[in-house]
Amino acid sequence: MPAAISAHSLSKTFRVKVRDPGLSGAVRALVRPRYREVQAVREVSFDIAPGEIVAFLGPNGAGKTTTLKMLAGLLYPTSGSVQVVGFEPWTGGSAFKRRIALVLGNRQQLVWDLPAEETFLLNRAIYDIAEPDFRERLAELVDLLRLGPVVDKPVRQLSLGERMKCELAAALLHRPPILFLDEPTLGLDVSAQDAIRRFLSGYRDRHGATILLTSHYMQDVTALASRVIMINRGRLLYDGALEALVARIAPTKRLELVLGSPVSAESLATFGAVHSYRFPHAVFDVPREAAATTSARLLAALPVADLSIADPPIEEVIRLAFAEAPEPE
Amino acid sequence: MSTATVWARRYGALIRNAWLVDLQYRAAILLWVLWGVTEPAIALGIWWAIAGAGDVAGYGRADFARYFFAVMLVNQLTIAWDSWYLDRWIREGELNFRLARPLHPAHEATADNIAYKARSGTILLVVWLVTAAIWPAVRLPLDPARWALTALAVLLAAGLRFLISFTTGLLAFWTTRATAIMELHAGIAMFLAGRIAPLALLPPPIAHLATVLWFRPMLAFPVEVLTGAVTSTPELLSGFAAQVIWLALWLAACRLAWRRGLARYGAVGG
Repeated sequence: MPAAISAHSLSKTFRVKVRDPGLSGAVRALVRPRYREVQAVREVSFDIAPGEIVAFLGPNGAGKTTTLKMLAGLLYPTSGSVQVVGFEPWTGGSAFKRRIALVLGNRQQLVWDLPAEETFLLNRAIYDIAEPDFRERLAELVDLLRLGPVVDKPVRQLSLGERMKCELAAALLHRPPILFLDEPTLGLDVSAQDAIRRFLSGYRDRHGATILLTSHYMQDVTALASRVIMINRGRLLYDGALEALVARIAPTKRLELVLGSPVSAESLATFGAVHSYRFPHAVFDVPREAAATTSARLLAALPVADLSIADPPIEEVIRLAFAEAPEPE
Repeated sequence: MSTATVWARRYGALIRNAWLVDLQYRAAILLWVLWGVTEPAIALGIWWAIAGAGDVAGYGRADFARYFFAVMLVNQLTIAWDSWYLDRWIREGELNFRLARPLHPAHEATADNIAYKARSGTILLVVWLVTAAIWPAVRLPLDPARWALTALAVLLAAGLRFLISFTTGLLAFWTTRATAIMELHAGIAMFLAGRIAPLALLPPPIAHLATVLWFRPMLAFPVEVLTGAVTSTPELLSGFAAQVIWLALWLAACRLAWRRGLARYGAVGG
């Protein structure tokens, strides 16, 4: 099956005006402007199959949004090539735009002063959606996103979570096969985040859509994406399954013990690296392959009331992955 | 569905939304209408006083009254605010979703203009009709040919002012001062487009400049057609020709600015 999204050696360099501080700096910048090249994205390549949900991870300024905008046709790459459902995004015109949805977490298309349903009607006209299709899709979206009570309230009166749900509904009425979502859960409370995640994964299952999302939240990744693409300082750091990343970056497992009676820290240390100990909780980081045997030894030798084995928290894995990355020259 | 139906629906939906937003801001609309009435009313007051001592360059008190009422109406029917919107869209990233949907942002701007002009034009037409009922000086002959010519001149002027505003707004791709440039243009147009005095009263070199540039075509010419200051065929033809030529030139400038601007937007991000 051909890839839904395919990027090859994608690079983007911005030219940024450099200005020294103060009035003299401002005047100098006016008379003799100096520019600095900023490489936002460097030689990034990946293929995404139809129906995949891929999370784009990276710290602020890593190049996530820039890449997303290139894929959506808003920015021209400095070099490299992109194909999205068979189109080159920036020359694809209307036919391409009808096949994508772009939701930018901080910029909304909903008309602020009107109820969201007015934006839905506007999009019906803009995307030329037949009336029966429009009614059926809207009913589905309203149902899945539980929008019933909010679609007729002015957008300015909605909570952030309600607004994002309406934003998604507006973006999906033309049923695009490709979704680009920039921080779709940013600033939302836990239950709204969860609702959006469940909706997105259900939408993919129902309609086979390909979803590429950027996020800061690890929950988005663990709950949604089978695959992560990590980028930092414009470079691709990792592309693959989350579990494989965890195994590579974090070669340890975390054993968490609840002890029945106090044990000295020294005797705990004989079993492996103690991450923390505060009676009754003791936490060990042990090599993956030794997790089972160490657990058995702990259970045999210590008064253990409870024991669990887990991967280290994903945030820590990601932090380690970024720390491990070589500095660009 | 035919292409025409698709576009009719798109424009219908855009205009409907613009009016629905208007209804949320009824007080603001009243203020804008007041503003639309105040400026020509003040100008009229001044010229009314001056003309008390006798005609000024052939303009008597009644002529001034007719002229400024026509300015009020034509100005509202041709004014364009697009530079403000574009400036915001570009600087605050609101252009992004507009670029990602299959509708050129100029259509949204055009629909907004139609909505605005239909609304304010109707209100001011009523203001004028009521005034004309009690004040004969501002009555205009109901000559269908003249109204048809006026409608054409107003349409061309509206197109021209829209393109000027849209193009100036596009300067936001390069500078953060796009709206300041538009303000400067509005200041110059105040004199050269005939908003504070008929062009016939300006010093000849300045009146000439206004005629050679796009200022007369954008307001004064349709006002003159409406008030009957321009009636001869050669005058009408040259006036319409100037409108068409400047419309074409600003259209070319607008397309160039859009293409270059987008390339730049794509190069520096947004």
